[in-house]
Amino acid sequence: MKDNNEREANLTPKNRIQAEKNWNYRRILTLFARLMLGGIFIYASYDKIRHPAAFAKAVYNYQILPDGFINLTAIVLPWLELVLGSFLIIGFWLPGTVVICNLLLMTFTGALLFNMARGLDIGCGCFSTTAESAINFRTVLRDASFLIPAVYLFYDTFFSRNNPALNRDDDESSFKLHPRKENDQ
Amino acid sequence: MVKSQPIDKVKTCKRKSVQAFWQCSALFVLSALLALTINQFQTDRLALIGDWSVEGRLTTATGERLDIPLAEAEKLFTEKRAVFFDARSREEYESGHISGARSLPWHDVDQQFIEATEDISLDTAIITYCDGETCNLSHDLAMFLKAMGFSNVRVLVNGWTVWQESRLPVEKGNVFLDEG
Repeated sequence: MKDNNEREANLTPKNRIQAEKNWNYRRILTLFARLMLGGIFIYASYDKIRHPAAFAKAVYNYQILPDGFINLTAIVLPWLELVLGSFLIIGFWLPGTVVICNLLLMTFTGALLFNMARGLDIGCGCFSTTAESAINFRTVLRDASFLIPAVYLFYDTFFSRNNPALNRDDDESSFKLHPRKENDQ
Repeated sequence: MVKSQPIDKVKTCKRKSVQAFWQCSALFVLSALLALTINQFQTDRLALIGDWSVEGRLTTATGERLDIPLAEAEKLFTEKRAVFFDARSREEYESGHISGARSLPWHDVDQQFIEATEDISLDTAIITYCDGETCNLSHDLAMFLKAMGFSNVRVLVNGWTVWQESRLPVEKGNVFLDEG
């Protein structure tokens, strides 16, 4: 994938069609990752937005933030999740959105691991603020698995030459529209 | 053409990074503004800086204090006038708990609530406890029991630790369940 452009220069017409096809598959994969991650973030924000006080308690229970930051986090974080989820789905400001999604997911996973390691018996507060199961290996694994689409989108946004993750403005550099073939000859 | 590719790639990545940087800042500002504005207009809005001290956490909306001093809890214990509920996990309960306390782990409260409380009346004095100043399990359990109709529920803050430090009676194993 990453050497798309170098290979592109030497493609026969037949291979070129194949390459375009591959690029389309990647586009679909990227769209799927965006929709999935976006859906997860929006779903996660819903209950927290509805019950800020209960979420504040979940944040307090983690015993990581100083008391002065607990309510602010409980107020802002759910909305940040909602905004990120929406932007992922509509494909707006993707570079920034993808970076924050990765940072958030890493923070969440880290916080879970940290509290599991010190043996704190607390609720996850991940998707629901009420009567949710305690943090355990499964919740860590779940959070870590969300990093798969997130890291893929990060790679796709920053390190691939043709950016299917990006919106129209960036599609100009997409495989199909490259005038490279003509230039080479 | 091929030679110019790496430069192009680095350029794109750099451009994206700059974009990402201002977008990240903008996303935080946007979300914060949105959240704080909507919070302001909510009837049950959250104070921007909350009171998370023991007193703050254990005072109900009606101004009632939930916590019980150790001396008072000890008195109820020796007079056998209160039922103690251990809100910690079953394993922690089994490795040591206040004598005669029942296990009602907060995280399994839905499954074990009926079994643990069916033989006590609604006006029985109940004392919940867990371990650690900041442990919220006992508090959550107390609020739950109050919501379930028990009128006399108190929290012994940092219960397991202070009970042991005062060398009050403790026991091991699954006493309550064995009897049942």
